[in-house]
Amino acid sequence: MADFTQPQIDHPPRPLAQRIGAILWPSFFAACVATMVFFAFVDPLVLRDETFPDLYMTRAMGYSIGFFMFWLATASSSLFTWILLRPASRFNRALPPD
Amino acid sequence: MSKKIPLDVIDDEGNSYYVSERKIYAREISGPLQTLRKIAVWVLLGMFYVFPWINWDGHQSVLFDLPARKFYVFGLVFWPQDFIFLAMLLIMAGLTLFFVTAIAGRLWCGYACPQTVWTEIFMWIENAIEGDRGRRMKLDKMPWNREKILRKGGKHLAWALFALWTGFTFVGFFTPIRELFASAPLIAPGWQWGGWETFWVFFYALATWGFAGFLREQVCKYMCPYARFQSAMFDRNTLIIAYDPMRGEPRGPRKRGLQSVLERSRGLIDKVTAYDLVYRASGNAVAADTAAVARGETGMAELHPAPVPLPKFPPDELGDCIDCTICVQVCPTGIDIRNGLQYECIACGACIDACDEVMDKMGYPHGLIRYSTQNAIDGKPTHVLRPRVIIYGTILLGIFLAWAWGVTHRTNLIVEAMRDRNALYRVVEGGDIENGYTLRVVNKDNVARTFVVDVKAADGIHMAQGPITVEAQPEEVLTLPIALRGPGTVAGGKPVAFTVKSSDGSASEQVDSKFFGPM
Repeated sequence: MADFTQPQIDHPPRPLAQRIGAILWPSFFAACVATMVFFAFVDPLVLRDETFPDLYMTRAMGYSIGFFMFWLATASSSLFTWILLRPASRFNRALPPD
Repeated sequence: MSKKIPLDVIDDEGNSYYVSERKIYAREISGPLQTLRKIAVWVLLGMFYVFPWINWDGHQSVLFDLPARKFYVFGLVFWPQDFIFLAMLLIMAGLTLFFVTAIAGRLWCGYACPQTVWTEIFMWIENAIEGDRGRRMKLDKMPWNREKILRKGGKHLAWALFALWTGFTFVGFFTPIRELFASAPLIAPGWQWGGWETFWVFFYALATWGFAGFLREQVCKYMCPYARFQSAMFDRNTLIIAYDPMRGEPRGPRKRGLQSVLERSRGLIDKVTAYDLVYRASGNAVAADTAAVARGETGMAELHPAPVPLPKFPPDELGDCIDCTICVQVCPTGIDIRNGLQYECIACGACIDACDEVMDKMGYPHGLIRYSTQNAIDGKPTHVLRPRVIIYGTILLGIFLAWAWGVTHRTNLIVEAMRDRNALYRVVEGGDIENGYTLRVVNKDNVARTFVVDVKAADGIHMAQGPITVEAQPEEVLTLPIALRGPGTVAGGKPVAFTVKSSDGSASEQVDSKFFGPM
């Protein structure tokens, strides 16, 4: 019996550069915007004093840490989106032989 | 010119390039596995709906008190400083999932996942109001009349009430539920809930209604990360829901009276033929891949030749599968388990119960579809203890022991020292140098305690007012301004340590800081 409940779309795998690019670039862009908006209102040194007062830190370092934390979050989200958009055939394989 | 050009009109009738999700009408089924699932639903949802109403040590048994930054879980209280224990708890939950998956497959999906559990409740409501599978399909096709409005309206009303109760209970984990209930609309006059309480009750109700009422299996197929990576924990010794093609193939309808292959001379057919027959019967890519692996080849399913049409088999060659498709009709995710292991399978076991019922009607033994391992289906021995099981088990046990030791041995006292920010030091009378600090002392215990605060330092640095004694109520956070004084000869930064000891000696903490003089 043919199974009509499944959309029969099966795109072939995309090039590695396209996959990595599509994950890292939009997340980089989103992280840049988030960093600018966030630090327009929050001074990293004041934030440091409120949270880890003993941490040695400069403003530039605070901006950098903030940016990479935003990027980590947005890139994780992009990676998750990529996994969910992979077609079923990438997952539906027979179990590998022992 | 007589040959017809194969053209199709793309229209709204479902054959457009974008395939919309076909609604799945799962047939209700009963059986031992469905009974187990019902028990799981009662136990898990019982915990969710009842726990907030139980009190423990004078407070709500499970309460995530966000405004006070304290989590109560039965006898345990978690403070923000105990975040590590909560993180470890989550890591343990993840590892348990891996461990169970490696041994017994997707038990989580079939029995415990909130998505599955709430979907089941919503489907019971639907089944009770709209009727069984056939009646639901008829109802959907029928024009809007009185009966359709009443049945559909009744279902949505029941769903909405249940969803609202769910949303209310959810908020009850963050706000004391008894007060929330007493101030609920219709119970208390007017609208007494705050803005955020109202928002979250309705938001969570809406989410429950949407996820369990409409999205259902689509959440598992398109949104769930676990469905995507669970196969990494699977091997041929993992418990899966499997169709036995050696016994079932070639499938087909037959006259009554034909015995099971287990009682006929035909017996089980060989593996390669069996998987090939599955592929040829279904044309499914998963079946093609399984057939290729059975033949001992590797590679992509797409590279395999198109299935050769099946001949009509004489009755004595037929396997035990009568191709009634009941296993497909009962499947909540709408797959055909006979094609082999698929990531869409949530291991609910509905197809097992359904097939066993059919086998009973045919007078065949149970287990054409059964809980088994790939090795067992293929007639090989199954090993429970494998490296991955041992590794997951060892890590899990290690983290659990560390967590249990940490939780039972954590100190009931937290001390933090913060230097005053505005000035490094100030010169006071007699040329002495003074530094200002704020000391935060947290009594995590549930009894009041008295603490003695002192400082350990060299170079004649001492507390300006001498050692002080403070009283802290249960779970109280004290903020103490402290001044340290040293002789004018102190230059640069000097290490100091504040000590806080409870008067009965049950708790003591030391926290390091610095004293600054002129450079």
